[in-house]
Amino acid sequence: MRPLTARRLALICAALGAMLFIAVVISLRMGAYPISIPEIVMTLVNRFFGRRNEIPPDFWNVVYEIRLPRIALGILVGASLSTAGAGFQALLRNPLADPYVLGVSSGAALGAIISLAIAPQTAGMIQFAAFAGAGGTIAAVYFLGRRGGHVDTATLLLAGIVAVSFLSAVIMFLMTTLPGREFRGMAFWLMGDLASPPPISSHWLYLLLVIGVGSIYTTSSDLNLILTGEQEARHLGVNVNRVKIVVYVAASLLTGLAVSVSGAIGYVGLLVPHLMRMMFGSDYRLLIPTSALGGAILVVLADLLARTVVAPTELPVGAMTALVGAPVFIYLMRRRVR
Amino acid sequence: MLETQKLKRANSNNAAMIAFAGALLLLATAVRASADVEPGGQSNARTPRYRIVTDDVGREVKMPIEVNRIVTLAPNLTEIVYALGLADKLAGDTNECDSPPAAKSKPHVGEPQNPNLEAIIALHPDLVLATTAINRVETADALGRLGIAVYTSDGEAETVLGILDSIARMADLMLAQAKGADLVAQMRRRLDELHKRLEDRPMVHVLFVVWLDPLTTIGQKTFIADALRWAGTESVVLSKQTWPQISMEEVIRLEPDYIVFAGTHGESKATELTDLRSRPVWRDLDAVQVGHVVNLNQEVIRPSPGLVDAIEQLARQVHPEAFARRSENRGPSSEIPAEEPIRCAR
Amino acid sequence: MSTAGGSAASRLAVTSGTGTVRLKVEQASYAHLATDRSAPTFTLGPISFEAEGHELVAILGPNASGKSTLLTLLAGLNKPLSGRIEVDGTEVTQFDLRVRAQRIALVQQESELLFPLRVWEYVLQGRYPYGRRLRFESDEDCLFAGNALAQVGADLLRDRWMDQLSGGEKQRVILARALAQQPALLLLDEPTQHLDIGGKVELLRRLRRLADGNRYAAIVVTHDLDLAAEFCDRVVLLHRGKCLRVGTAAEVYERALLEEVFEAPLEVEMRPNGRPRVILQGS
Repeated sequence: MRPLTARRLALICAALGAMLFIAVVISLRMGAYPISIPEIVMTLVNRFFGRRNEIPPDFWNVVYEIRLPRIALGILVGASLSTAGAGFQALLRNPLADPYVLGVSSGAALGAIISLAIAPQTAGMIQFAAFAGAGGTIAAVYFLGRRGGHVDTATLLLAGIVAVSFLSAVIMFLMTTLPGREFRGMAFWLMGDLASPPPISSHWLYLLLVIGVGSIYTTSSDLNLILTGEQEARHLGVNVNRVKIVVYVAASLLTGLAVSVSGAIGYVGLLVPHLMRMMFGSDYRLLIPTSALGGAILVVLADLLARTVVAPTELPVGAMTALVGAPVFIYLMRRRVR
Repeated sequence: MLETQKLKRANSNNAAMIAFAGALLLLATAVRASADVEPGGQSNARTPRYRIVTDDVGREVKMPIEVNRIVTLAPNLTEIVYALGLADKLAGDTNECDSPPAAKSKPHVGEPQNPNLEAIIALHPDLVLATTAINRVETADALGRLGIAVYTSDGEAETVLGILDSIARMADLMLAQAKGADLVAQMRRRLDELHKRLEDRPMVHVLFVVWLDPLTTIGQKTFIADALRWAGTESVVLSKQTWPQISMEEVIRLEPDYIVFAGTHGESKATELTDLRSRPVWRDLDAVQVGHVVNLNQEVIRPSPGLVDAIEQLARQVHPEAFARRSENRGPSSEIPAEEPIRCAR
Repeated sequence: MSTAGGSAASRLAVTSGTGTVRLKVEQASYAHLATDRSAPTFTLGPISFEAEGHELVAILGPNASGKSTLLTLLAGLNKPLSGRIEVDGTEVTQFDLRVRAQRIALVQQESELLFPLRVWEYVLQGRYPYGRRLRFESDEDCLFAGNALAQVGADLLRDRWMDQLSGGEKQRVILARALAQQPALLLLDEPTQHLDIGGKVELLRRLRRLADGNRYAAIVVTHDLDLAAEFCDRVVLLHRGKCLRVGTAAEVYERALLEEVFEAPLEVEMRPNGRPRVILQGS
């Protein structure tokens, strides 16, 4: 009997944190512009000490305007989507659930396309509209998914599927009937795009990330119990309805956050929780933090590959997440002694 | 004793949570991308004088007066740069810039829709040219944030003459006014000549096919529709959209005199007349049966100098009578592309 | 006399065995309110009976007699329309969720697990009511969980995966999780339903031993007449929501009554140990 201890949690998180750090370093180093590690370090150090004018403008641009924002966004998106995916898998009692199954990304896409049609040249508009679309969908699906005042898992899933179909149809209709000039950006947004940083300072976004992941984390013991059965969890003293609401809102907001700033990057929310489960077990007290870190690592590495593998062409991040994640997944699956 | 043990566990649990949250926050601070700091300037050794111009989409561009390194983000812009004789100032273009062929050997910055920003920075451009026809707003924004001068031209001109104006403006931009005026005048002259030749010719109705599957054509408010008019033809499809998709039923109903394809979208084989003749429904169209199928170079769908060539090429095939008498006056000044038009075997 | 508070003192009182558990059901009644699907209203009760620590009580009746509904009332999941259900003097619906889980354990028949889980992890979950939200399990928790596993004879299964267990093994583990809750009241809903005769007997024997050896009262919902008679101290006979009789098996098993309730021709035979046996009539 080896129950989870705080020490083990801290050790695993530290190990994953170190891996994330390494991924960040590698990602900072690689790219189309030739810059060496000492030059990068010099740029970082000078900035830290406020010696802005000692940094060559090109270095500044490459490190602070191009690479670091992308990496930061990648961490944000990866952590959000993986945690949301883990949360939804518990909430919907479905190992195949991903963050988009309840329609959040479809609502965001609809918001994006409407903003492109109305105000295509306004910077940052697409992200606000996407977040608004996501929020609207979250509320609508929630109210559709209730039964007798409680969140009913099966009904929620159905409501989500209906939302996805309906919203996709509306999007397709709009894309075909509206004049097609502004929708070029849409294709990138749909594939996932880490190159356009959001208009808000990333502090706020990280705050939202911490709040979202933290909220789900507080329910992790409850989720462990709920996964053995809702009735059983109730009998053990879990306030199941409250937990479902918290997880639903937090996971949906995390998804909406990620999708609004970078489009719908796929596979992260589905693969990473399973990967972490295979490595560290199904205890959600460990799964939530490891999913967040693992997702961040995956997206940072995938983005690195996306922009360097066939440079100068940039591949869509969503394709790379699958290419990077799937082999690891298959390897772990075969290795598992069950 | 149990109480203190539990307390210790509770404390270490708290510690783990705080450590985790702290690590995230630390990371966030460390990667803080400052949007509030002024972006760096050019990295050229000399300090060029600047001017501020407004581009076609209303963006104020601060660019050096002397432009020595240009990067283009679209094939038509590359063509224009070459036509203005500025080829040696072209520092880089996209993967898709294939006309003229020399453009293919220039350093590439990626695709027009998603160029690699770092590659652009590495080329140290004085000016980056973009167009609304194919480039994204996000790209121009990002370049602006990096302190790189990017001029976006309006690639969605509705008339051919509008394109000429755009070329003239770009020539001004790059201090090639003389060459620009010359180029524009030449293009204008050719168009006017063509107009005179075709004055008495009846309008030929064509279906301009952008894509076969799904069947996509062009709308009325595009420069392609206008180009067709200059060639003495008219698109049979009346639509306000830019790239309307139509059904074969519409094509049958509209009975175009000619079917016009625009070059190599990977469907060059399909545009062979013989292939069309083997397709159901298509083969029963009058135009196909009589062999009135034209395959132009891709330049038609680009707002560039090659457009005039394409217009001429189309006019020749559709109104051969207007050219028959003057065939001996063909000179090197008219640059008809080498590809042979497809003629039917009657 | 333990109170309804979740304090350490009362918990220790439970574990050290001072005082005895008392379940009191007084004229409890319930009705399924008619939904808009116009299902017929189902009424239960009024029912009265009592159970004390070390006792094994059967709630007996055919299908749809309201046995499971009564169990949900005992578990505090539903509030009775009238009457009271008290555990150690406090109404079950008035317990705060976690405290109730410390007092009452409900053993389900099946457990559909979504993700792989080890037996000890599963049993350790029974300790959830005892501690703050995000705690990690303490040594004491592991001790109780280990004891629970030993009590059901599943000690050797500890490191196995839950979905590799046989039906009987799984049942024991589910029971162990309930025992890890250190409850005052143990409720079981048709625990023998999917077991063969050997499994049924083994389970009831175990329950009997557990009840004898521990403080809690165990309430078993069943429609198995013989098992109820053989192992239980008291029987509560239900028929179509009505409580027909409460007493020892010998008192309750009257031929005419049983035939009416179970709608089958039966014969009741008294055995030397004072417990009746029910014999089915053929044709």
